[in-house]
Amino acid sequence: MSDSPARAKVRPERLRELSLLAVIAVSALVFSRLVDNYLSGSFFNRVTTSMAITAVLAAAQTLVILTRNIDLSVGSIVGVTAYLTGEYLAAHQTTAPLLAVGLAMLIGCALGLLNGTLVAYGRVPAIIVTLGTLAIYRTWLIDHAKARTITADSLPRWLVEFPQGTVVRLGGLDVRVVLAVAVLVIVALQVALGRLRWGRWVYAVGSNPDAARQEGLPVERITLGAFAMCGALSGLAGFMFLARFGTITVAAGQGLELASVAAAVVGGVSILGGSGTLFGALLGALLIDLLEQSLVRVPEVSEFWRDAVLGALILLAIASDLAIGKRLRRLWTSTSRREREASTGG
Amino acid sequence: MADRVLRWRAELLLAAILVAVVAVNLSLSPFYLRTGNFVNMFQLSIEKAIVAVIMTLVIVNGEIDLSVASVMGFTAAVLAALHESGAVPFAVAVVVALLAGAGAGLLHGLFVARMGLPSLVVTIAGLIGFRGAARILTGDRSIGDFPEWFDRLGQEPLVGRFSLAFIVFVVGIVAAGVVLQRTAFGRAVYVIGNNAEVARYSGIGVARVKLVLLTTSGFVAGLAGVLFAARLGSVRGNLAEGFELDIITMVLLGGVSIFGGSGNLVGVALSILIILNLRNGLGLANIQATTQTGIIGALLIASVLVPNLVVRFGRRRRRAAPEPGEVRPIQRPATVDTRRKE
Amino acid sequence: MSGLTDRVPVLEMVGVSKRFDATQALGGVSLALYPGEVHALVGENGAGKSTLIKVMTGVHPADEGAILVGGEQVTLRSSADAQRHGIAAIYQEPTIYPDLNVAENIFMGHRDRGVAVRWRRLYREAEAILARLDVHLDVRTLASGLSVAAQQAVEIAKAMSLDVRVLIMDEPTAALSAHEVAQLFRQVRHLTASGVAVLFISHRLDEVFEIADRVTVLRDGRLISSRPRAEVTPQRAIQDMVGREMSEFFARTEHRPGALVLRVSGIGRAGSFAGVSFEVHKGEVLGLAGLVGAGRTDVALALFGIAPVEAGGVELDGRPVAIRSPREAMRHGIAYLSEDRRQLGLSLPQSLTANITLATLRRYVTRLRLVDTAAEHAVAERFRRRLSIRTPSLDTPVERLSGGNQQKTMLAKWLNAEPTVLILDEPTRGIDVGAKAEVHHIIDELARAGMAIVLISSDLPEVLAMSDRILVMREGRQVGMFGRSEATEEAIITAAMGAA
Repeated sequence: MSDSPARAKVRPERLRELSLLAVIAVSALVFSRLVDNYLSGSFFNRVTTSMAITAVLAAAQTLVILTRNIDLSVGSIVGVTAYLTGEYLAAHQTTAPLLAVGLAMLIGCALGLLNGTLVAYGRVPAIIVTLGTLAIYRTWLIDHAKARTITADSLPRWLVEFPQGTVVRLGGLDVRVVLAVAVLVIVALQVALGRLRWGRWVYAVGSNPDAARQEGLPVERITLGAFAMCGALSGLAGFMFLARFGTITVAAGQGLELASVAAAVVGGVSILGGSGTLFGALLGALLIDLLEQSLVRVPEVSEFWRDAVLGALILLAIASDLAIGKRLRRLWTSTSRREREASTGG
Repeated sequence: MADRVLRWRAELLLAAILVAVVAVNLSLSPFYLRTGNFVNMFQLSIEKAIVAVIMTLVIVNGEIDLSVASVMGFTAAVLAALHESGAVPFAVAVVVALLAGAGAGLLHGLFVARMGLPSLVVTIAGLIGFRGAARILTGDRSIGDFPEWFDRLGQEPLVGRFSLAFIVFVVGIVAAGVVLQRTAFGRAVYVIGNNAEVARYSGIGVARVKLVLLTTSGFVAGLAGVLFAARLGSVRGNLAEGFELDIITMVLLGGVSIFGGSGNLVGVALSILIILNLRNGLGLANIQATTQTGIIGALLIASVLVPNLVVRFGRRRRRAAPEPGEVRPIQRPATVDTRRKE
Repeated sequence: MSGLTDRVPVLEMVGVSKRFDATQALGGVSLALYPGEVHALVGENGAGKSTLIKVMTGVHPADEGAILVGGEQVTLRSSADAQRHGIAAIYQEPTIYPDLNVAENIFMGHRDRGVAVRWRRLYREAEAILARLDVHLDVRTLASGLSVAAQQAVEIAKAMSLDVRVLIMDEPTAALSAHEVAQLFRQVRHLTASGVAVLFISHRLDEVFEIADRVTVLRDGRLISSRPRAEVTPQRAIQDMVGREMSEFFARTEHRPGALVLRVSGIGRAGSFAGVSFEVHKGEVLGLAGLVGAGRTDVALALFGIAPVEAGGVELDGRPVAIRSPREAMRHGIAYLSEDRRQLGLSLPQSLTANITLATLRRYVTRLRLVDTAAEHAVAERFRRRLSIRTPSLDTPVERLSGGNQQKTMLAKWLNAEPTVLILDEPTRGIDVGAKAEVHHIIDELARAGMAIVLISSDLPEVLAMSDRILVMREGRQVGMFGRSEATEEAIITAAMGAA
């Protein structure tokens, strides 16, 4: 019997990414009517800079969510790494930039390793571990800082100017270094997840952890690795946070874990693990940041409304997208299932 | 039989931890067991305990409500804003605030129950959204100057040494315990948490149960928010910010599985006592509230980690011991037919 | 393809015993699997089959006895050990990665494929292996979109790719239709042709006798007999399994059906089924036959309100009804026993009592809205006796019961709801011969007492023996209605497959 004819099959993830792009475009259009000078170069720069941090965190969170876990401590990791890196740079002004980034990522990685060890080897559910470390890391920071704040003027010049650094300038639009870094990280990880055996293992562990274990996949090591990378990326985000804000209090990064989960989920990463792409998470981060920044600019919306409306919009985004995606997915599997059943075997 | 022993083992472990905590506190401060301190300890975190009760049912049901602290802040803000505007008598404002809490819960419930969205994400959106709404209503200010009767209800004992909030907590936890263990609704909560599809295929209205639970969660959070406002005497936009950590810890430390389908309020009651005693004792020893939070976080992790390790080492010990080579007669449950043995 | 016993067995168990606490699960079992041979293992639930599999796959160590692979003694301490010796197992529910595609599923367990994934090569190799099994699938398809039969084919391909020497198949045909079973057997023959030894465990004796070269019977943990297929008959096998003579299928008692209870006219649901019409009378058993995917369960789910009817009409006792939820279905007296008792039919960690009252809890509630546990226990005890449910106590969690007793518990739950129409979906799947006969007996009793029964089953002999009339479905449509006298296996299979 012959094969079912080759069709242009659109995977569910592509559908999700496409619908996200559509939602982003529509939002931009809607806001352009509500806000003067919306589609301007400075706004583009604003959004892309702030989005960079969210995107890196969304990528970090995605790695963990893919393995069927969650990391609620990323906000605290950002705070700790931003503070410690700032502290170090304030005391050692001549540190090479790459070393500073490396330091932040190393600290983040260590914190992530603790999370991962407890989850993978201690067999404690991730939500419990990371709720706990969210508190523990923050408490440690508060104890360590003893109410001192890192101020921008104590930091080396290059760090403070870092957010302004541009890779390329296209007319009024600056492609900032921070954005380039974020996109590069995401592209590299996406390729790794798609082409490296380790990456496929990450998906396998999230898709069916029992099968993975049975087949001899090093499930604990894979999970540990995901948390460690999440920590390292959160450290990178911490560095970017330090560069962007300069002034770091002990409350730095509080609440960022929520944005990272929201961005990943909006971006199509399934909370059950095993499916979703980093590119989707990037789009999710873009959408959330776009909404946040746009709302601030709408004159009728006061600053306090921002969070409220943002919460509502996130809900709307996932609800509508879920409804559409579910219907499309059902159509795709039910029609092709019949075809496939008919063609199985001769 | 074995499960009953196992079940009591969890509660016994918690009781042991409680005794240990109290003992340590006693050693740090000899006035610890004075009744005044005891009652005071409770009052300081009573709102969290109240919400922990409903959170238990929500988590047993297989869902989670991360928005509770924000809803507390939101309802307190509604109350404060209405009071400040003077548009309605204060008592009416209280009622409106409570309804607002229920409304918030209903909103979450509709998205989860009717649209099938995961509660984790929906209530995260609520956490963000309702905190924002609280900030809108209060602006940058602290609103206070509530009627005297309101402040009195929040700050002074109502019956004997016990405040209104404390009584609400006790009544609430007993009622919730009865509902969960002894009513058909409670049964449904367990079954749905265990396997929602089985519940559905047995004719249980799964969506309705989830809707009721989440709406109640919002209402109780609202009630806690109003009680908190009464105790504080004033309301800011960040009221109860971050409370969800303690509340969820109270529930999970009490032996309720995060995956749903198991756990009970006896364990949660014990864990509430542990956490309150811990915070109280640490506070008396002059340890900052923020440090206390870190310790609670460690306790949360330990509450799951330690039993895991105990089970794992126990199993390893048992497997190493060789089985004696005797052959025991086969035991089968009684059958209708008599079987011929070889 | 029958074995020449002077060859070296690829896997041999010698005097293997295993005890769990007070139960001797295996007592001195000696078994040899030869390359290229299909060795069937039969026995009732509790006979020791699954323990034997667990010992073979390294999940449990044997207390006594030796395991030899290729003539040499080995120690299996984990499933990884077993895999390294070329022993793999496939179970009733396929173990797959739903979010990954077919090719990845096949090769995920391979450890020596390098750091980077070469997709084109992966797809090519996956297609090659599937071709060897004569299976045609698009290797880029996500595993979640495959039918159960296709997922099993993927698992077999996986085993083949790992060059297994012994493949254990535990109830592989339980979820397959006759057509898919034939495909599976073709795949098995390809396997044995390349020298793999297959250990085939099944409750379906007709299949066992079709595919096996050798039949081994276990009972109460002991090996009762092990003979080449030519030297044993199904009756003899049953006798060995049960220890006494027993016919496999219960004969229905003669009686006449009563008034019309349920009539469906032209019902349909987009993407599932269309144009289905039938009637069921009191005391009648209507069998629903067809291949897996034909839409029979969809029809049942429509009548039960899980995935309601979109077109056409349903009438109960002459009155048109609209059923939009299980609650409404139950109110109209319709009950549905799901084919998946573990995932959909029973709340596994809960007690027998709690499960029996699960659908009817409203009845056992006192004035204060509290549950009357005494009344609950009384009901559970009544059903335990009536259906002969074997259980240590009424409070035992049902996950501890055997498949047959779990099935009876599910039946009790729905009988307690006192339905007028009882829809049974694969009621004897995965249960042993003894329990199967008991369930058939119960169905016959219920029919005699006037219940209208719809029986969905992929077990053709069962459908033929139990039904008064048989409706055949194919690809969502109704393709035949047979009375008892005109229903033959050929006629039904022909209609179900659409073959001329």
